[in-house]
Amino acid sequence: QSAPHNHKPAAFPRQPVTELSRCALLDMGFTDIQAEEVYETVSKAKGANASKHALSTLTALFVLGLNPSTVLKMLQKSPELYGVKDSQLHQRIGNLRKLGLVEGSLQRVVVHHPQILTMPVKRIKNVVIFLREKCMFTGQQVTDILRDSPAVVEENPAQLEYKFQYVYFRMGVKQAEMVKSRLFRFTLDEVRSRHCFLERRGQYQTPDKKGQTIIINPKLNDILCADQAAYLTDIAKASAEEYDVFQKLMVREWKEEDQRQSYTEDDSDD
Amino acid sequence: GKWATTQPKSPPTSLALQYMDATYSLQLGQQWPSVRVSLLCEKKYGALLNNFSHESALADLQAQGCMDFIGHTDQDAQPFLDEASGGEPEGSMEQEISSSVSLNKSDSVDEELSPLQLSPNIKCLVFPRGDITRFKAARPDGFGLLSYYLMDAASVLPCLALNVQQGDSVLDLCAAPGGKTLALLQTQTIRFLCVNDASVSRTMRLRKVLHSYIPKELLTNDRIRITSFDGTKWGEIERNTFDRVLVDVPCTTDRHSLMEDDNNIFKKSRTSERRQLPQLQTELLLAGVEAACPGGEIVYSTCSLSQLQNQCVVEQAIHLARERHGIHLQVVSLRPLTHTFRKTFHFAPDLHLGEMVLPHLAANFGPIYMCKLRRLN
Ligand SMILES: C[S@@+](CC[C@H](N)C(=O)[O-])C[C@H]1O[C@@H](n2cnc3c(N)ncnc32)[C@H](O)[C@@H]1O
Repeated sequence: QSAPHNHKPAAFPRQPVTELSRCALLDMGFTDIQAEEVYETVSKAKGANASKHALSTLTALFVLGLNPSTVLKMLQKSPELYGVKDSQLHQRIGNLRKLGLVEGSLQRVVVHHPQILTMPVKRIKNVVIFLREKCMFTGQQVTDILRDSPAVVEENPAQLEYKFQYVYFRMGVKQAEMVKSRLFRFTLDEVRSRHCFLERRGQYQTPDKKGQTIIINPKLNDILCADQAAYLTDIAKASAEEYDVFQKLMVREWKEEDQRQSYTEDDSDD
Repeated sequence: GKWATTQPKSPPTSLALQYMDATYSLQLGQQWPSVRVSLLCEKKYGALLNNFSHESALADLQAQGCMDFIGHTDQDAQPFLDEASGGEPEGSMEQEISSSVSLNKSDSVDEELSPLQLSPNIKCLVFPRGDITRFKAARPDGFGLLSYYLMDAASVLPCLALNVQQGDSVLDLCAAPGGKTLALLQTQTIRFLCVNDASVSRTMRLRKVLHSYIPKELLTNDRIRITSFDGTKWGEIERNTFDRVLVDVPCTTDRHSLMEDDNNIFKKSRTSERRQLPQLQTELLLAGVEAACPGGEIVYSTCSLSQLQNQCVVEQAIHLARERHGIHLQVVSLRPLTHTFRKTFHFAPDLHLGEMVLPHLAANFGPIYMCKLRRLN
């Protein structure tokens, strides 16, 4: 059973591999099963250049020093990667480098969030501009955010802005602390639930204009990074039952709040 | 908007929260955060079933997942008797005040050992623990009567504590808008009911409520009297008369004060009114005591957590009843009641006088304080 495409080293000695074969995949270090999976996926893909793009993608990822298992996992997570053009991929990786993601960090980002390589450079740039100009993060802080929470690039800008403002104004937390606690890994609802629960229990206060509070607030990092059980025992000192009901109540409260707001917006139209 | 200019810098709800943080954190200690978050979240209701409606809502409400917490208490409520004889720890304060007033522990124990009697006719449905489903508004039956009344389920407890007997005459001294009056009427054992509230406008509301729930033929003058007197003056009107008296006094209405700026007692302009509450409450309770007949029973209740408005008022009233009127009062234990309903409500542990429902997120009823007194002479 021969593969439809064999390499022809004799006929084209100076050409690298241009077609994707099972053999080529095995040569790259994939196991039989992995090679079969990649091959199947690529064969099913539409478009004349599917195989060519797949090959260039694999090459680019290997050039980053990623091993075949990792590469396969990335492709499973984001199959669109197969179809990204060579030039685009280089531009996108180059852009991430320009944003300060040095070796190690760069790999971490693309492995954890391979979708970042399927996004236009423009879109990433917009997120960066937003973080720098609207949220006043420093360049280094932006790099740290991208490194620790690359999924931030997926977020709807309005949501992102609301989350930032919530933490900045309602919780009185400064940018450095947000970066340290990896704020952007958490959904707005997770942040709000944990904060509101503490606030209504009297364990968190919005600082006044001078940044002062009567009680000592727990650190954002401690509020967010603990798993729920630890958050409840160490920070809130409440039962899981209470927090459970609280979250249900909050979902309803927020939904009704949103509805009220959209009514008032309708009202103000006239 | 139009509110912007009139919005005070510290709205009364914030003032209320500041006040409660300062006082209740001392009073409740570790439990305050849990009570606080509950007060600041949506409360739970109970649906008091109206036996006079021609269409029972019972089946419908049960189908929605509610159940009657009064009839449906678990049967292991009785082992309480064992616990009691095994020496339940009682508040040490009881000894302290027993020196000045007639508070006798052995009297209370007698009561604890007598089986709890509850009117089988009061039914109040609630959604289970942790369930946040809301009740729909009740609809009128063919005769215009509503099938249930939505109220804080814990508000039914003072009515149950009053333990109305067949043929009793009952005074509801501060009755508007009438939730507890309705609960009392559900027992269908009252011979004569006197309903009073000092506020004329609130008494009007009370009348409307009664007419929406109780058939006309039961609202005749020989069965019910509705008045708008100052309750503190009741002793001058009618003394030594009623078998049962409910004194559900005006208070800081903690939940309302934290949530609504309108009509809020923590408004700066109402500071002196608020400070005078304990005195007014004491006068009302004293008037209720005077209105009761010898052997009659009085239940004092508030919807505040404040010791000053609860235990202190009762202590003061017991003291003054003796000083001023020579009336001796006995505190009647409500432990059988709280034990029976411990699955539905969170009761404050070891209160030295009376019982209190603490709001809890999973059972967000209350706060309700109640204390039962028996007039000895
Ligand atoms: C807590 S509310 C009563 C609620 C009522 N028992 C119910 O369950 O619907 C207290 C009531 O006391 C009334 N009140 C205030 N001062 C009073 C007074 N001096 N005499 C009688 N009633 C008074 C108020 O108008 C208010 O309606």
